[in-house]
Amino acid sequence: MKGFSAPRLFFQAVCCALAIFSAVAVSAQNPPEDAPVLISQPGSTRALTARPTGKSFDFSPKTVQAGRNPRITFFVTNLALLPDEGANAFRVDLQDAQGYRYPLQVLALEPLADRPWVYALTVRLHPLMTNVGDVLVRANWRGMASNRVRLAIGFESRKPEDDAGAVPTPMPDKPPVTTPVQNVASLPWAGDRVRFIEQSTFGPNAALEMRLRRIGFSAWLNEQTEEKRDANGALRYSTYPYPNLPLMPQTPSQTCTGNCLRDNYSMYPLQKWFFRETLYGEDQQLRRRVSWALGQIWVVSGRETIQPSRMVPYVQVLDRNAFGNYRDLMREMTLNPAMGNYLDMAISTQQNPNENYAREILQLFSIGLYRLNQDGTVQRDAQNNPIPTYDQSVVNGFTKVFTGWSFCVQGCPNSQPGIVNYKDQMVLTPANHDAGEKQLLNYPGAVSIIPAGLTADQDFEMALDNIFYHPNVAPFVSKILIQQLVTSNPTPAYVGRVAAVFNDNGQGIRGDLKAVVRAILLDPEARGNLKTDPDYGHLREPVLFVTNILRPLNPVSVATAGGACSNQSDGYLNPATIVLDQDVFNPPSVFNYYPMTYTLQNTDLHAPEFGIFSTGTALKRPNFVNQMIFGGGIGLSSDASCGTQVSLARWQSLAAADTTGALLVDTMNTEIMHGSLSPVVRGHILEAVQAVASTDSLKRARTAFYLVATAPQFQVQR
Amino acid sequence: MEQNRREFIGKSCRALTMAAVATQLSHLGLVSALAQKRSRKSEAVDSYKALVCVFLNGGSDANNMVVPKYTAGYADYSAARTAQGLAIPQANLLSVTPPSIGLEFGLHPNLAELHQLWGQNRLAVVTNVGTLVQPLTKALYLSGAPRPDQLFSHSDQVAQFRTAISNSSATTGWGGRLADRTGPINAGAAIPMITSMAGVTIFSNGVTSSPLIVEPAPTPLNQVLTLNGFGTTSDELARKTAMQRIRGEDLDKTLVQAAGFLTQQAVSVSEQLSTDPPLTVTFPATTLGNQLKQVAKLMKFRTSLNMTRQIFFVQLPGFDTHGSQITNQGNLFTQLSQALKAFYDETVAQGISGQVTTFTMSDFSRTLNPAGTGGNVGSDHAWAGHHLVMGDAVAGGNFYGRPTSNGSIFPTLVNNGPDDISTRGRFVPTVSVEMYAATLARWFGLNEAEMPLVFPLIGNFPTSNLGFMG
Repeated sequence: MKGFSAPRLFFQAVCCALAIFSAVAVSAQNPPEDAPVLISQPGSTRALTARPTGKSFDFSPKTVQAGRNPRITFFVTNLALLPDEGANAFRVDLQDAQGYRYPLQVLALEPLADRPWVYALTVRLHPLMTNVGDVLVRANWRGMASNRVRLAIGFESRKPEDDAGAVPTPMPDKPPVTTPVQNVASLPWAGDRVRFIEQSTFGPNAALEMRLRRIGFSAWLNEQTEEKRDANGALRYSTYPYPNLPLMPQTPSQTCTGNCLRDNYSMYPLQKWFFRETLYGEDQQLRRRVSWALGQIWVVSGRETIQPSRMVPYVQVLDRNAFGNYRDLMREMTLNPAMGNYLDMAISTQQNPNENYAREILQLFSIGLYRLNQDGTVQRDAQNNPIPTYDQSVVNGFTKVFTGWSFCVQGCPNSQPGIVNYKDQMVLTPANHDAGEKQLLNYPGAVSIIPAGLTADQDFEMALDNIFYHPNVAPFVSKILIQQLVTSNPTPAYVGRVAAVFNDNGQGIRGDLKAVVRAILLDPEARGNLKTDPDYGHLREPVLFVTNILRPLNPVSVATAGGACSNQSDGYLNPATIVLDQDVFNPPSVFNYYPMTYTLQNTDLHAPEFGIFSTGTALKRPNFVNQMIFGGGIGLSSDASCGTQVSLARWQSLAAADTTGALLVDTMNTEIMHGSLSPVVRGHILEAVQAVASTDSLKRARTAFYLVATAPQFQVQR
Repeated sequence: MEQNRREFIGKSCRALTMAAVATQLSHLGLVSALAQKRSRKSEAVDSYKALVCVFLNGGSDANNMVVPKYTAGYADYSAARTAQGLAIPQANLLSVTPPSIGLEFGLHPNLAELHQLWGQNRLAVVTNVGTLVQPLTKALYLSGAPRPDQLFSHSDQVAQFRTAISNSSATTGWGGRLADRTGPINAGAAIPMITSMAGVTIFSNGVTSSPLIVEPAPTPLNQVLTLNGFGTTSDELARKTAMQRIRGEDLDKTLVQAAGFLTQQAVSVSEQLSTDPPLTVTFPATTLGNQLKQVAKLMKFRTSLNMTRQIFFVQLPGFDTHGSQITNQGNLFTQLSQALKAFYDETVAQGISGQVTTFTMSDFSRTLNPAGTGGNVGSDHAWAGHHLVMGDAVAGGNFYGRPTSNGSIFPTLVNNGPDDISTRGRFVPTVSVEMYAATLARWFGLNEAEMPLVFPLIGNFPTSNLGFMG
């Protein structure tokens, strides 16, 4: 590793990259440059590569031969790695002259002995890759994309052309200045603050942004997760009281029509409450967001539950445990009557067992179908097949465990004749419980068989412990929560860091969701600079799309609604999300509004929310924006006693203050797009703004907001 | 190797450059719309054909859809189901006697309209169909022979029916791959070959094909894809232009590119659907009726849209009848029968009843052994089930399949019997999804050489033609 020189050019590249960022970051303080740098040959952008030979490297091959020697080592620097951050913290891809991009399997990451600030990054080309000539290679780390370097596969070629501004990045002789990880998670950069808000709430507004600026991420997380009490001193898990609705007869009475049906046999009251929580529930934003995410794991649908009064206790289980322990959530959910009805546990008896709940608690709520490594990657056997976590005998075993539990018909606080009790936890009828031996999950340390003859309660707790202590639970749950809050395709390292906190919150406690949420939101892959990894981020699901648009625009009731509404929206927003295929609390099946495993066409990338984004729903997003921005909002109706409209006054004043439109667009870039608009997109918006007469500041504000909120760059939160 | 490489590229190319987007658009049949001109094609080259997939979501219990009515067969069925209240009374079954078996069977009593089509030889039953990776018997299954991943799991079995790949997680569906391969027949089409009325589904994603997704009736066809809020003032036009240009930026960011692409596709297609065509037949205003109504409307535009081949996906949910099956499945079958009959009649009115073939798929069938008892009685997840194929091109009035353990193409309805791989009546399939789908795909125009590209495991099975398409 001798003879490398010219670190000067390397630092030039860093400066150049900084200059680009300063053009888009509006905050007074620029984010630090913390992207990885792939090392090139001294005088060109061609990659410095080597062939791994076991203990050292062979630098002689100039080209890589596809199919024969698919392993190749690159060199990367400008990293400040965490102690256990290794190969699984990196994603590497290459792009050929045709524009196709291929993922590469990352095999190893090792610091060089003589230059510990440089790492050897060894990858494998796909065996089916052919000799295509030059390609451009990039390494992504914590959502940051490196520079791209050229690699010749088979032969050198002119195309593809280098990225604009690419310069040689030769081997550095001294360590680069990097950002310590603790600083990444507490950046005083406006863009990261807004992005943090997008990941942890239902959207930014001025007060929330100011609060974060004053107290920082960590204190804000404490503030949100601390206990809150109502006027009577009772613990409070929502800002507004839950709809207080009576349990109704299974079949509506003949006189119950119209509003009676709507209020007692549809999710309407609960949906309105939910949207008001998202719009105005400032002291419960994080809890609401986490509860909403957990509800997309532990799915119960109003389509089968029918009565909103029956769904409230289910929502309360989610809310109560959002910062609690996953084991408590498992227990309370399993005994929740709405869940018992939805997945048939309430009708499962020794005499007539029903497998539904047993199957789904394993597949969807806890461990999934395949054995996972702690970083969430799937374990495979010698034939490269994924290894199943359980078989039918285990489903049979858990089915027996869950027999005998049903609605509390009498003796519970809410038992009443002729009304199914969906308010109290389900209770046991011992005669309906199967006391036989039960096969549970088998893994190291597990008690995998329940002997015959134990009590139903003993069976129940042993079985839930058997699931809870399965090694899959931490990576399975952690990954879904990351996907819900931050990004559809977290690196395995990110999943691994969060899973480790799930396994042990630092005080020896497993399943502490408060610690897990904190770990997700403060992780360097969630925080820091603008994310440049092309695969970063997630599509805003319809609920987030709608609330993320409304919250920054101070949603209020329509003017004619009067003082009875306290100037607030009534929360009648479900019509906006239902046309986007997200009917709140009415998911089509236990597989949620969209499957977490949905894969984007032509890729190997997860994109769960794209499961409900299609040609059929794509134009309904801009149409909602149009309705709110140009169309006066959601007017009064028999279902909307207050209506919903937005205020553009602040944006209008920005438009009036600067007739070039730049102040308007740049402020929107900071506050709505967390500084991520490219100069080109900014230019397109500015051009459209300038096409409106400068005297019509309202229309200028509307035009700018419409274009931001309808942009694909806004649909995808990154 | 070249095929493998193509599949590999399809799976792994993540983001596309501008040029690659243009390429992808041409695969989608959108390029003509974008280029504002359309290649004219002789009507004589190939006549119109369409496949309509009706997915019975949740796992429809086939044991109560097609029931042995002959004495010994009904006795087995009754022994397994009557006590718990899940058996359909023998007298209520709508009689059918398939020549391939020569015994009397019965359709569910709520399938009256379909029974009528059976009598006109326009409806066929394909028996004992399920996901497989190779032919299996009970003995082979119990000896550990290769079987589909995650049997009895909804999400996996739904995906495997839709992908026709049961031994790995596929990223494309068989409808999409069929569209990839038959795309050339459809040259000049103004909209994608595949349309889903039931949202996004892997069935309709190919390597290069991606579907049009529209909402069902009663939304008029010319209102399914509209962009509101643009007039003709200069600032509105400037806003529209900016919106279009913004969609062309940041294409290196994978999810952003995908969102922009789908939006662009919707805008392009909306320009093609400017009127709402009237239909002859009145469709029931049900979940399925409304979807099939929209299908019929798109079919009515087949000539002006230059469509030679179309694939449609519709879905009827609610078949996961762990409980209350008698009522729930009964209602769903009424809906199915009435909607399919209306759709069939409309194809007659449009003169294409011999060119449109409608078929069912479902997650799986359900256990012969009931779950629960009395009014709540239902059934659990199982495996092989029967499916319906409808149209004038179908060799109807018969059952099709492959021999089960008893020598006939209908399994023995006995718990822990010779076809049950469990103790609760989960029958091992004798017809794979591939065999069923390949029979349809051949009729649609897929050539033999490309059969393995659409159905990678078809070579594992004894035939790719079950004979029901004549």
